[in-house]
Amino acid sequence: MELAALPPLPDPLVLLDTELVRTALLELGLLAVAGGLLGAWIVLRGLAFFAHAVGAATFPGLVAAEATGASPRLASLALAVACAGAVERGGRAGRAPGDVATGLLLVAALATGVVLASDVFESAAGAERLLFGTLIGLGGADLATSAAAAVLAIGATIMLGRSWTAVGFDPEAAPTLGIPVARADLLLLALIAVAAVAALPAVGALLVTSLYVVPAAVARLLTRSVRSLLLSSAAIAAVQGLGGLYVSLWLDVPPGPAIAVLGATAYALCAVGSALRPRPVAAPAGAIL
Amino acid sequence: MSAAVSAARASLGYGGEPVLTGLDFAAGTGTTVCVLGPNGGGKTTLFRALVGELRPLTGTVAVAGRPAYVAQTDRTRLDFPVTALDVALMGSLAGGRWWRPARGCDRQAAGRALERVGLADAAGVAFGELSGGQRQRVLIARALVQKAGVLLLDEPLGGVDPDSAQRISTLFAELRSEGRTLLVSTHDVESAHAFDLVLCLNRRQIAFAQPGEALTRSVIEETYGSELVVLSGGSDEPVRAIAVQHHEH
Repeated sequence: MELAALPPLPDPLVLLDTELVRTALLELGLLAVAGGLLGAWIVLRGLAFFAHAVGAATFPGLVAAEATGASPRLASLALAVACAGAVERGGRAGRAPGDVATGLLLVAALATGVVLASDVFESAAGAERLLFGTLIGLGGADLATSAAAAVLAIGATIMLGRSWTAVGFDPEAAPTLGIPVARADLLLLALIAVAAVAALPAVGALLVTSLYVVPAAVARLLTRSVRSLLLSSAAIAAVQGLGGLYVSLWLDVPPGPAIAVLGATAYALCAVGSALRPRPVAAPAGAIL
Repeated sequence: MSAAVSAARASLGYGGEPVLTGLDFAAGTGTTVCVLGPNGGGKTTLFRALVGELRPLTGTVAVAGRPAYVAQTDRTRLDFPVTALDVALMGSLAGGRWWRPARGCDRQAAGRALERVGLADAAGVAFGELSGGQRQRVLIARALVQKAGVLLLDEPLGGVDPDSAQRISTLFAELRSEGRTLLVSTHDVESAHAFDLVLCLNRRQIAFAQPGEALTRSVIEETYGSELVVLSGGSDEPVRAIAVQHHEH
């Protein structure tokens, strides 16, 4: 089989002339703020797999909504928040849901979605749109949802960032600091769920992590404070979204995979770079007395 | 003298299984209590109950106000991107400010607390890059910012360099003179002599008394079992002994 010749690179300025591209750009910019900031918390608190599962969990809801004419946003929001609640309850009862339960949830959600989709859609294109996102048909409601997610992410980071950091750093002492750990964590999980729903139209149920985990994971390799992690994570998400959008338009592929591939490449390069970089020799015990 | 920390006929455990029984003690405000016992003897379990993380199976445990907890620092996330100042600043979350950003006065309080533990110069250093003793002192600084009246310290002197150990001991004396109550768990029988009270635990409360009274050969032997090397002392007189600990780390 011979690969088709690559199409010529489009002129970015010409692309900007179209309404569709401008809308997509705005959408990805808003998602970069939400995804970059929340991604930093996802990475710091070890919630990457949860973020992935919450995205996937919305897939059967999206398919069912499509079939019944219900609002896909509400259907996916209900599933995502239910998923967050289940994880928080599991954690609070002392039995962390763990990777196995999360993995099973992921598989069940995808399988249910695919089974439903085979009845609902005439072609595979519909399911592909829900899984991998699309630039076509992004509209005012999508932008409003993403703007709300971005505003919530900024507000929560300012108000709750200290508590989330303190719990992640020293979970045993956190309650003695007066932090209601269960409530603070539920707020974080719920916010991730809401923000994942906002990202669904553009990047799809399967690739929410491309905007919500990958930029923060790259930033984590490059930064040494929570503040710089937050800022650079959002910046990397924006660059990655911009690049992904361009590749998506150039090669006529869905935006989700384009963004994900760019992000994964950036992560691999940074990981190799930081592994090769000579580390400073650790200070001996009591060096700074 | 009111009790700052107390237990009454309490037993503690996990999943209904008791791992520490017969707790009955009361320590007044401004006293220092050494919690002695072998690994698995129940020291950390007692602290978990005192911070409210573990509900007693029977009886009650009580702390006046909200205590500050200084866990063994290898249980914190050493790869977390926080500086010494960031950690001290976490103390200002106490007092109902958990959902609000830090204020200027919080930062000043954190800076002063670091100065107090002798780490003003290390404020910007990543927590994970500090030595074990320095990390302990940063967590004590966090407790100072928290304005806690009761401090629970889980083996603060374990694996600490001698200079840090000296600074920490001096700090304990200062905190006591300010009227704070300290519960300090340790392996070190020798260091227990410097405290007001000693609580000996080995899956049950063996003794609770002043060091001269509690640290007898029979109590220490019962507390440590075969892990003990007795250096001197008869069965009813204050003992000098070393507990041989097998660290899991």
